[in-house]
Amino acid sequence: MHKLIINEWIKLFKRPGTLVMIGLLLLSIIATGVLNKIYGDNGQTAHPQWEQQVTQEIKQAQKQLSELPATAVDVKKDLERKVAINQYRLDHQIPPANETTGWTFINDSSALISFAGLFTIIIAAGIVASEFGWGTIKLLLIRPIKRYKILLSKYLTVVLFDLFMLAILFVSAAILGFSLFGTGDGHNVHLAYSNGSVVEQNMLLYLINTYLLSSIDVIMVTTMAFMISAVFRNSSLAVGLSIFLLLMGGTVTSLIASRYDWAKYILFANTDLTQYFDGVPLVPGMTAGFSIIMLLLYFFVFHLLAFGFFTKKDVAA
Amino acid sequence: MSSPVVELKHVTKIIKGKKIIDDLSFTIEEGEVFGFLGPNGAGKTTTIRMMVGLMGITSGEILICGKNVEKEFEDALVNIGGIVENPELYKFLTGYQNLMQYARMVKGISKQKIEEVVEFVGLKERIHDKVKTYSLGMRQRLGLAQSLLHDPKVMILDEPTNGLDPAGIREIRDHLKKLTKEKGMSVIVSSHLLSEMEMMCDRIAIIQNGKLIDIQKVHDYLQESKQKYFFEVDMKNLAFLKDISYEKVEKGIEIELEKDEVPHMIQLLIENGIRIFEVTPISKSLEDRFLEVTTQGEKLHA
Repeated sequence: MHKLIINEWIKLFKRPGTLVMIGLLLLSIIATGVLNKIYGDNGQTAHPQWEQQVTQEIKQAQKQLSELPATAVDVKKDLERKVAINQYRLDHQIPPANETTGWTFINDSSALISFAGLFTIIIAAGIVASEFGWGTIKLLLIRPIKRYKILLSKYLTVVLFDLFMLAILFVSAAILGFSLFGTGDGHNVHLAYSNGSVVEQNMLLYLINTYLLSSIDVIMVTTMAFMISAVFRNSSLAVGLSIFLLLMGGTVTSLIASRYDWAKYILFANTDLTQYFDGVPLVPGMTAGFSIIMLLLYFFVFHLLAFGFFTKKDVAA
Repeated sequence: MSSPVVELKHVTKIIKGKKIIDDLSFTIEEGEVFGFLGPNGAGKTTTIRMMVGLMGITSGEILICGKNVEKEFEDALVNIGGIVENPELYKFLTGYQNLMQYARMVKGISKQKIEEVVEFVGLKERIHDKVKTYSLGMRQRLGLAQSLLHDPKVMILDEPTNGLDPAGIREIRDHLKKLTKEKGMSVIVSSHLLSEMEMMCDRIAIIQNGKLIDIQKVHDYLQESKQKYFFEVDMKNLAFLKDISYEKVEKGIEIELEKDEVPHMIQLLIENGIRIFEVTPISKSLEDRFLEVTTQGEKLHA
């Protein structure tokens, strides 16, 4: 199996398109870093009177809370979270990070994960379909290797590629962040709010966690793109549909979620697992367990379709 | 008699309710070049794709060296090297990198083996160039190299000479001859080019509309007992031949005869005072046979 993955990896990296993708990703990180350095307001260390400031923020939030109507559940929950975290800061003498450090830069760069995801989706959409496009599928499938193994090696290659892009993003953001903004003042903990209490987390672990959790939707959409690619053998269909869903899926789902409960069964309602660790679930009553089961279900169905069609359908073209 | 290398047993293929291949059965022996002949759309490519597992078999079975293509796919396919139509290779890789791709997919292919195969198809000079710079003939040779890496017992080539110039066709033919002679490989070739099959194959199966119409040794095709003979004679006073069916052609007549009848015919002509300039057998080409057989088939269908 590992030899099949090596094959796929070579086919990926011998094409200029893949290298361009990596180049664009690096370029976007560098651009973010440089722009941040030039225009961002940094240089000031933690505000000397940060305690006053935080106290003020808490008062403001509490005032807002009492004024809000009972229907604004989401806003209320968000405000409660703010209050709790700020209170924790006061109690434990942890100043808020309002300067850019290497750590915050890595955190901010996680916004580029969907950019990396976009490339992974393009790869996933093409990895089966382009073999059909090139006609090379015929020579590939007349090897003494069962078809499911070939498809599995292709899927694993896509997952590896996604991890590879994430690693590039993380490592280059770290190098750039620490060299441009330094490591900060040592208060490198992340404060997370979940189930009504505040938890301290190690910053590095938190960041890695954020990166992995943020790529769940990328992995799911990638799997879907891969499935479309294997079933329809058409890469433009796979790319188009997947990117459309990646961009619009979340928005449409939250629109539906504001009116109907069944929105929780939609893939995109479940892809953001950070909502359970660090925020408020999209539809009341959703739990992490529910989302994981839904994700596994979608994952299983996508692969069932991909493998079913790929191993059974005649190669006619 | 050696055991058959490839065996088709009552193979039928139905696509969308249409019978593409209808109860096809034949065997291919070790070391023979087997031609698969038929007009376009007869089902040649479908049959070949079923043999290499690219298409499923609706009913019946195909055995490669005794292994069922569908049930023991990996064991069966180890014995097959193939090119399905024009060999489509990865254009962004070099020839060598292409071969490496395929070498990784079968156990135990050494670097030496790759070099040996490259040498055999005569691509040594260009093997490290990108495939997109190759000519069609070179791609065809690389395709051949790719199919030889794992020393298969059977080579399956679907229209291997499509789009090649005469020199390229000749090259492929020479390579195939070498393979069968030196390595004892069996070769299955499909084509609609008759003259070519005549030169390459030991045995030919003709299929039409998915049915096997005829299967014969090429040798037999060309040497049937009855044959046409051309007599170059004076065209006057041929009235005495009215009992014999003959055809008037330019400068003479054509008559279908058994070989022993030829002297009698000559005698008859001489006795009637006809001057004979030349007598030649008209060897029936495979093409004539092919057209004869397939048009008969069509008449039956009509």
